[in-house]
Amino acid sequence: MNVIESNQLTKVYGKARGISNVTFSVREGEIFGFIGPNGAGKSTTIRTLLALIYPTSGSATIFGKDCIKHAPEIKKEIGYLPSEVFYYDNMKVIDLLKYSASFYKKDCTKRMKELADALNLDLSKKIDDLSLGNKKKVGIVQGLLHEPKLIILDEPTSGLDPLMQQKFFELLKEENKKGATILFSSHILSEVQKLCDRVAIIKEGEIVKVETMSALTENSYKKFRLETINEVSPDFFKLEGVTDITRKEKTLSFIYKGNINTIITKIAEIPLKNLWVEEPTLEEIFMHYYEKEE
Amino acid sequence: MVNVFLRELKALRKSLVIWCIGILAMVAGGMSKYGATESAGQSINELMVSMPKALQAIMGTGSLDLTTVSGYYGILFLYLIVMTTIHAVMLGANIVSKEERDKTAEFLLVKPISRKQVIFSKWMASLVAIIVINLVTFLISHIMVDYYNKTDDSYLIDIAELMGGMFILQLLFLCLGTSIAASMKHPKRAASISTAVLLITFFLSMVIDLNENLEILSVFTPFKYFEAKDIIGGTGYEALYIMLSIILVVVLTIYTFIAYEKRDLHI
Repeated sequence: MNVIESNQLTKVYGKARGISNVTFSVREGEIFGFIGPNGAGKSTTIRTLLALIYPTSGSATIFGKDCIKHAPEIKKEIGYLPSEVFYYDNMKVIDLLKYSASFYKKDCTKRMKELADALNLDLSKKIDDLSLGNKKKVGIVQGLLHEPKLIILDEPTSGLDPLMQQKFFELLKEENKKGATILFSSHILSEVQKLCDRVAIIKEGEIVKVETMSALTENSYKKFRLETINEVSPDFFKLEGVTDITRKEKTLSFIYKGNINTIITKIAEIPLKNLWVEEPTLEEIFMHYYEKEE
Repeated sequence: MVNVFLRELKALRKSLVIWCIGILAMVAGGMSKYGATESAGQSINELMVSMPKALQAIMGTGSLDLTTVSGYYGILFLYLIVMTTIHAVMLGANIVSKEERDKTAEFLLVKPISRKQVIFSKWMASLVAIIVINLVTFLISHIMVDYYNKTDDSYLIDIAELMGGMFILQLLFLCLGTSIAASMKHPKRAASISTAVLLITFFLSMVIDLNENLEILSVFTPFKYFEAKDIIGGTGYEALYIMLSIILVVVLTIYTFIAYEKRDLHI
């Protein structure tokens, strides 16, 4: 069964870019990544699904019900963490969480305490006095305390330190095991890679591709940069899967796709001063992966 | 829904106290001046009449008898109306727009609650707030007028009638505020625009006071609907204006609900 089904969802803003014909579906129990550069339309899609804004055309269903018409009903089972968390000033964390819980017709106290403990969140502090990362934690607890069947996260990791991020991912995996479906939007490929089963790639308001994570990693590109002791001709690396070779004095860089052992063997043939292997940015992936298809 | 209502009431507490102190200062300060003018006797009325009409209009004296405590309170009433309607219009505009201004819309509107329920809860909380303001004004006014009242007549009924008129105006401007905030694309500006509309209608009422030929324009400014000189003078409320107010309140309220339901939230 599909939890989210978006069908030709389109939102046109005056001049600003919206989204056009966004079609994808999220299956029950999966962690679905929604990835694209900033401004690609991730938040617009999510806000339309949540009926905060209305589609110009197209439609979407959540739990099989129209996301606009049945919004209040659907939202009983949705937990949402917005990209920027702002909450009512002058409220203590505990007050905000209790307020949040009061919308759901179940006792959330126990889960609230568990989540706060797991994230090291001090419930007695005023929200105003919290750091960005701690505000984010309030957002996480607020989004998860009613044990929703569908968790929607919009750029959830910004502001969280790596340790907390790890904790947070564990929490999400736990929820997922219990049966929650997760829609996770991000512009950072590696964090989506860590968590998601499938991803939709969105660019300039349109879905470019929906792929399983494994298919995407098979096609994964690596950015190599090496500082050599002697000058090496770029032709040395002319082999299958290497593109974009540039040389600047003794620094060579290129993008590689293929078996990692092949290239490592090749590199081992030359004396190196330093070596960097990096994840290409999403933009680079777009450029190399999708240029051919266009 | 009850939770949103209670949350809003809690959020309104502080500002309500401040407004009530303002009203207390206004009534107490204003009426204490009566203590001073009272001794001047009839000459104060002569002074007023000799003043240019423009000045009379601005001070709101009109045909009020300033030697009586009720006449004097009538002037004060104009300022009280301005104060309480500004409170109401800003309250209406802010209570709707603040979720978007403070970016809490992404919190509240993703809860299992419809936009209509949100507006209804906020509307009810605002209603409580303007009733509190009205009752506090009533109480303070009654105490102060009674204190300076040297005659055996009681003005309780007069003041109650004035407060009735004031309440209708508060309600009217509250609904104006909510409807502007509910329909605007950029809700941040809702409060300033609402206040501007209020001031324009207020100045219109002054212009009408200055020029009797413009009397016909009175329907366009609620400040002409319930005037102290009519209510205290004995003619009471005018049916036309009561009807007009009710229609406006109903229309603006319905409009608020529909407009807020239909538009994209500004996030």
